[in-house]
Amino acid sequence: MSALSSCSKYGRRRLLNPLTRTWVALLALTVASALLIPLPIPRSALAAAILLLALIKSRLILARYLDLAHSPAWLRGFSFGLICFAVVLFGLYLI
Amino acid sequence: MSGSSLIDELPGELLMWVLIISELLVFGAGLIAFMGVRLTDPTGFAEAQSHLHRTGAALNTAVLVTSGYLAAMALHWRQTERGKAARFSLIGAALLGVVFLIIKGIEYADKAAQGISFETHPFFLFYYLLTGFHAAHVLAGVGVLLLVAWHDHPRNIEAGAQFWHMVDLVWIMLFPVIYLLG
Repeated sequence: MSALSSCSKYGRRRLLNPLTRTWVALLALTVASALLIPLPIPRSALAAAILLLALIKSRLILARYLDLAHSPAWLRGFSFGLICFAVVLFGLYLI
Repeated sequence: MSGSSLIDELPGELLMWVLIISELLVFGAGLIAFMGVRLTDPTGFAEAQSHLHRTGAALNTAVLVTSGYLAAMALHWRQTERGKAARFSLIGAALLGVVFLIIKGIEYADKAAQGISFETHPFFLFYYLLTGFHAAHVLAGVGVLLLVAWHDHPRNIEAGAQFWHMVDLVWIMLFPVIYLLG
């Protein structure tokens, strides 16, 4: 019983590994981006949603894979830069 | 007087971060230029974009994201004294990089079969420049991953994985702009 409980606890801990959670989230966001395309929504809303999903994916990579979650100031700086970049792209798309 | 600075908070080598920021700026400038030139012919850009394979590109995103996961796990495993798992993980990440290049090659071959070159339309000039430059980074990254799988000191794996995550990050921003924003 205790071995089973320990095994289940280990399995749960593995499932909750932040790197694995990040990977699952990135795959889900990639599928979401692809599923958005055929939806009958205004193109500006579609572009905003696509860029927003890309921003979330970028932040996940920076925070978890590049480990900036432990350097909050740098994570904020990179996030700010990426948001500015996405806003410029969106602005150019709307013109 | 405190000995630590903001620079010290960065994980890994400072030079790797200089490289990451430089690459993000270069690709960022390329994508902004792409969107700027698109203003001169939005209909032509949308028509040119319709020749791209979104499904293949989305599949490549999943391939690269999974490869990045393996590279991140490799560092985690090496730091927890599971060197063999780390090596296999790095080799797996490199193989997925090769899969990415094969899918990209199929995409380029399809364009060539349609008679599409970088001279066909400005859209394709940017398409080939940006995706080709990125593919060159993937090729370099595959070499780097295999090198750090061989010389598997944790610091080497960290630097190699950081390079690979940068390649991943660039693709995450390149994919929606080139393939989806029509």
